[in-house]
Amino acid sequence: MNPTVAARAEELHQLQNDKRGVMVSRMFAVLLVVQYIACVSAAFAVSPYAWAGKERVLHMHVWVAILAGAGITILPLLLAIFRPAAPLTRHVIAASQMLSSALLIHLTGGRIETHFHVFGSLAFLAFYLDWKVIMTATVVVAADHFARGVFWPESVYGVTDPEWWRFLEHAGWVAFEDVFLIWSCIFGQRELRAAALRQAEVEQLTEMEQLKTAALEMALTEIRTATA
Amino acid sequence: MEQVTEPMKKQMKRRLLTAGLILAASVWIATVAAAYEAIRRFETTPGLPASAPRTWPAATAVTRTPGTWSLVMLVHPHCSCSRASVTELAEIVEKSRRDVQPTVLVYRPQGMAAGWERTSVYDAATRIRRARVLLDRDGVEARNFGGFTSGQTFLYDDKGRLRFAGGVTSLRGHAGLNSGRMDVIRIANERTGNGSHPVFGCAITTRGETR
Repeated sequence: MNPTVAARAEELHQLQNDKRGVMVSRMFAVLLVVQYIACVSAAFAVSPYAWAGKERVLHMHVWVAILAGAGITILPLLLAIFRPAAPLTRHVIAASQMLSSALLIHLTGGRIETHFHVFGSLAFLAFYLDWKVIMTATVVVAADHFARGVFWPESVYGVTDPEWWRFLEHAGWVAFEDVFLIWSCIFGQRELRAAALRQAEVEQLTEMEQLKTAALEMALTEIRTATA
Repeated sequence: MEQVTEPMKKQMKRRLLTAGLILAASVWIATVAAAYEAIRRFETTPGLPASAPRTWPAATAVTRTPGTWSLVMLVHPHCSCSRASVTELAEIVEKSRRDVQPTVLVYRPQGMAAGWERTSVYDAATRIRRARVLLDRDGVEARNFGGFTSGQTFLYDDKGRLRFAGGVTSLRGHAGLNSGRMDVIRIANERTGNGSHPVFGCAITTRGETR
């Protein structure tokens, strides 16, 4: 392959990836804010107060939703605004997205339905077409389950003495989805690379055509001048 | 005076942005750690355990059907954690022998507006098969049974002997498999053994309010 075409193809591929990164990061910036509002709303809707007889105080979940929700959201939001194309941004977004899932699951009392947020988020993260981002999200889910399984097992498994490998069972379902998402990311990158190469070849051909046309025009001008 | 050039401005801007991002990263890590610890502490801290009478309380107005086992749960209708307890109670009733009579005692303090106790927790309790839902005015029955915490469950056998006292959730507000639920089902079905489990929920009465 012509090295000039290859270099241009690589440049075009990088440009495409950056453009996609910016678009997806901005989408996540909006999503993170929406999720934050949803978390706070869920806390107010599900458990607004803790009671002692007829006395009530604001429930701990409301504080957690407001403070932890904001804390989880702030870094990926700033990165998505100021460094939308940077690889670090997408990894922080992936980790935050999984932490938001964990928070939302907790605030809804561990509802099975809320666990779909994890799987939906993984699919959204695949928009980056970067399989390493999927891996970051998976590591966060597995680490969360592993840490809770060690220090706080009832929160994940309902019993205090689960088998050590139980976190693998939960993470296994995420891995199941990962296989297809990672495959789609690799396939998508291959397609992007092929498209970039085609564009680089077209650009080179166009450039060659333009040079030929210019040379022909110059020759014609010289002939006209000579025959005049 | 030194003139601020364009590259210097750019460098200052970059430094400011880097400092902002480092600060945000620190807040992010600290928040995640603090949230985990706060949630862990909140969820794993049980309520006051009951000092339940070993036999069916004489003072209670709750009637016991002869020849049946009695499963009694104390519930604060506004305690969001108790939704999980009621869900677990429904599960226990489904998986236990039919001669276990469930009763849900819904706390209602004096001086509250009409319908104060009609919450989603109350509605969920009314949907439990075979369950009686009774109002516990001012926590009198909670005191009779020696219970303090919403979600507190008692299982008495057909002779009125206490077989289980405790909660039926693994944590505050978490429905799902747990040893409290499993113990009640096992004792009710096999008719052997005793059990206890930490109870997670809002306070109905305090120690100072006991008889």
